[in-house]
Amino acid sequence: MTRLEATRRLRVLLKTEAVIASLGHPAYDLFEAGDRAENFYLWGSMGLASSIGLGIAMAQPGRRVVVLDGDGSLLMNLGSLATIATVAPPNLLLLVWDNELYGTTGGQPTATAEGSDLAEAAQALGIRQAVTVREPEAFDKVVDRALREPGPWVIVAKVGESGTASKPPLDSPMIKRRFMAAIGCPE
Amino acid sequence: MTSVVQVSWAREVCRGLAALECREVVWVPDNPLSHVLRALEQDHPDIRTTIATREEEAFGIAAGLYLGGARPVVMLQSSGLGNSINALASLNVAFEIPVLMLVTMRGGDGEWNPTQQPMGRAVRPILDSLEIPHSTIESADRAEAIVRHVGQRAFATRRPGACLLARALWGEAGSGKREE
Repeated sequence: MTRLEATRRLRVLLKTEAVIASLGHPAYDLFEAGDRAENFYLWGSMGLASSIGLGIAMAQPGRRVVVLDGDGSLLMNLGSLATIATVAPPNLLLLVWDNELYGTTGGQPTATAEGSDLAEAAQALGIRQAVTVREPEAFDKVVDRALREPGPWVIVAKVGESGTASKPPLDSPMIKRRFMAAIGCPE
Repeated sequence: MTSVVQVSWAREVCRGLAALECREVVWVPDNPLSHVLRALEQDHPDIRTTIATREEEAFGIAAGLYLGGARPVVMLQSSGLGNSINALASLNVAFEIPVLMLVTMRGGDGEWNPTQQPMGRAVRPILDSLEIPHSTIESADRAEAIVRHVGQRAFATRRPGACLLARALWGEAGSGKREE
């Protein structure tokens, strides 16, 4: 399963969830899978997607929040897992596209290529519902469950590279305004 | 060790936050911030405080809180500004996401720890280079007004704004008192 295939499978399951995509390939694939106003695409701030998602989940307890992170970017902000475990927002799903490399910056291997396990790290830091999936059917099943049952959830999806060419708009303030209006808090 | 003066500046700062309708405070620990946290607990139980593991993470959480409709505050020590620069630049400034920053200052006169001096000196030039307005709070009687002014400007213009809390507030300027 490539990251784009997995993103397309997620897109089918989405309704009104707020979706935050880490910069680079996770954002490109989310845009390619189907743009929607409830998508927030990062263009910088590597590592912060999970923190932004946590903040939205805290401010909007009635809305499900999905974060699309990468293995490299989560490794930049592992403390976020401890904070998510402490705050324990039931409406947060952190989906980690684990391709075992820094796909946006040239394909250099990450620590997960050498055996670092991000789902085990999440569990060790206090997030009970943290799993790794590899197959499309297992992915659909656990994501569907995580979108309905109380979290926080961490799903590490082992994926291959996709090489998407399309990119979301570069107008960051527009993306922000559109997103805020779509989730019911217009500026 | 809590004197009337210490409680007073912290309570005035918190009064400013309440007037701004800021109900979310994300923070990374520093000794003087304990007074603010205590004042929040005593006087403003409706304000939620969330501890982060690192300052950059705190700005990420605060940005999410803003996107979700809140008016967020980040409290940090001046050293932690160095951990936050790319978040402030590529998230807050680029996306026009405001945040009110309360920064306890290290370095300068009375600082016992020489490793705090370079970052302490760099705080204002860094904020200036990112075009983030900042005001320094040096006395309790001006604290609420400055917090309100900086906060109003930040949320009206959708930029970060920083209140720099001077060590004179907790009475340690030149005292050589050791703080970790």
